Amino acid sequence: MDKFIVNIIHRPEMVPEYAEKVTGHGKEEDIGRKALLTESLDIFKFQQEMAHKYGLKTTIQMTYASLFNEEAVQIAKEHHEKYGDEIALSLLGLPCTEFREKYKTKDFCIWMFSMEDKKSIVDDVFGKFYDIFGFYPESTGSYYMDADLINYVKEAYPSVKCAVATCWEEGPKAYHTCNNSWYTFMDGGPWNPWIPSKQNSHAPAANEAEDSGIVAIPHLSRDLLACYDGNGSNFGTHPQNVLRGMIYDTETWDYPYLYNLIDQYRDLEKYNNGYAYNMMFVGPGWLNKMGRWEAPYELLAKSYEDGMKYYGELKEQGKLTDMTMAEFADYYRQKKTYTEPECALWRDILYGSDKQLFWYCDPYMRACVNMDQGGAIVDLRPYAAKLEWPVGIGTKHVTDASYPFLIQEKYRAGYFTHYAGEGTVRSAKLKYNGEEVDLCLCRTKAHFSQEGNTRVLTLDPVDIEFYDLTVKLQSVISFEEGSSDIKIERRILEMSNPEAQVEINEYMVACYGTTEYSEDMTGITLSAKKGEEVQSLSYEYKCRDIEMAGADEVRAIVPQIETAVSMRSNAETAVGYVKEGYAFSPMFTLGYTAQVKDKEVIATWLKLEKAN
Amino acid sequence: MAQAGKGKLNYRCPSCFMRDLDIDMFYQKETDEFYCIRCQYRGNEKDVLEKNEMVRFRYGAMAKRYTKFDFD
Ligand SMILES: [Zn+2]
Repeated sequence: MDKFIVNIIHRPEMVPEYAEKVTGHGKEEDIGRKALLTESLDIFKFQQEMAHKYGLKTTIQMTYASLFNEEAVQIAKEHHEKYGDEIALSLLGLPCTEFREKYKTKDFCIWMFSMEDKKSIVDDVFGKFYDIFGFYPESTGSYYMDADLINYVKEAYPSVKCAVATCWEEGPKAYHTCNNSWYTFMDGGPWNPWIPSKQNSHAPAANEAEDSGIVAIPHLSRDLLACYDGNGSNFGTHPQNVLRGMIYDTETWDYPYLYNLIDQYRDLEKYNNGYAYNMMFVGPGWLNKMGRWEAPYELLAKSYEDGMKYYGELKEQGKLTDMTMAEFADYYRQKKTYTEPECALWRDILYGSDKQLFWYCDPYMRACVNMDQGGAIVDLRPYAAKLEWPVGIGTKHVTDASYPFLIQEKYRAGYFTHYAGEGTVRSAKLKYNGEEVDLCLCRTKAHFSQEGNTRVLTLDPVDIEFYDLTVKLQSVISFEEGSSDIKIERRILEMSNPEAQVEINEYMVACYGTTEYSEDMTGITLSAKKGEEVQSLSYEYKCRDIEMAGADEVRAIVPQIETAVSMRSNAETAVGYVKEGYAFSPMFTLGYTAQVKDKEVIATWLKLEKAN
Repeated sequence: MAQAGKGKLNYRCPSCFMRDLDIDMFYQKETDEFYCIRCQYRGNEKDVLEKNEMVRFRYGAMAKRYTKFDFD
């Protein structure tokens, strides 16, 4: 069932994002300028022409503004007839004279309006679309679609089956890149298509009851390593983003990175039962006749044509299937079960570091395993909580649509901390005769396999060198479908002194939040339990701890994000512990220590649950 | 000096780019230089282009075409 699918989406945006600000610099704002409208439509025509030239069909996402433009409507109808393009409806591109007059605001991101305005805008836009075309669309989208918005659209316009619903890891990093002038945050979602839950659109539905009724696709297919560390807008299947990142040769205008990125996405079929996906969605503002950033128009146009050409070549070779969004939704529904995870074993294809990450996403969690840190978990989002998190004006989260993390190594440090305290990470330390080594410093690579319903990452063994003892250790990380568990096995393959005994400390340092800044940890409960015996403490930044030999589990309940996270171990000598943090290091730690000998194998499970 | 404007392209500040910050520079016609409003960088077009080549140092594999994506 080997299939690589691409969705190519174009939108006739009569006032392209960026274009007004950039080309109009030094002029008074006028979104009705004739030159702007003409140029925008020309760009849309060019994009359509390029797709069709290389034998690809598109999804035309009409914007509200374009519904008032006869030529744009005419082109959509013609191309639907001639090329099989889908006529869909975008919730991007709202700004136009008509919109400004009615809503009297410069807001343009649908997810950030009040719920009342969201409904009214959706009704206006869908109503206008119906007036023009005589039917309701099957696909829609924006850069983000919050759960309340999706639920409303699905309820009022049940024909909708597909939507662009998130930009992967566009949170504080994008904010910083835009000089802190870009107030919209949407970290923590899936990177590839998913079925959003009714409760939180980032978190996939676990069953029919949670199913929002649409298939969500991400805005662009993004580099799962470069975008995690750097600016999301430089590293995606968006040729002009690659130019924005200056990832091209200025002499030859070559950008192998764009093709490497597409090819690595194709390669992900190995981890997803033969299915792989790509999405390209370039707004017209990026093909500005005045050039964009350092790139002249000729380079912008060339890169767009090259992108289409490459997809076209893959199609000709039988390696790609182009679909409209609605076609894709049907395909996805038929091939996907709710609990089937999305997996990506991803390597660095840009910096030359050979670093490797593994991303895992299912209805219970999104996790990132970093092989360059010995298989440590460096990002963890507890989807099991299905956190209801309304966004927009009138809610507690006007601009912050991110799904909260428990672990985020870039925002809340990972293994390395600068002066004192600890950063968020799930790793292990080995201790012998007063020496201690963290697996975060053991760089390795992983191999993927699937055993029944379990996805397994088998890491290459690493050597831990103490003064007079060398331990060869292998980590195996398993994700069992539907279990909401991550199992980590440590296999002691060899010890230079077979009689030696080493202490292993399996730990998780965590907190909660969506940004770099600490949230109030007060009220988090930490506990250890053995049979009926429970010891617990309520977080007060007092640096306390609890230790319990033979603990069945250690647990943290984070009421702020309705999440419970726990660990358990199968080691006979295991001692469970929890640690409270302090003001300078507002974290908590869950862990187990155990004694291990040569050839022994111990396992630890990390479980995520909803806590009401 | 008169107020600054935009150059023919939207050159970003190479120094800020290196700290993942996209800031368009402004152009001073009297001195024929671009300058950054956030940091202290200033330079003519030639200097900007040179520095833009420099910022690419981080992309060690920029010219490489990969055919293998795992380490199996
Ligand atoms: Zn600067």
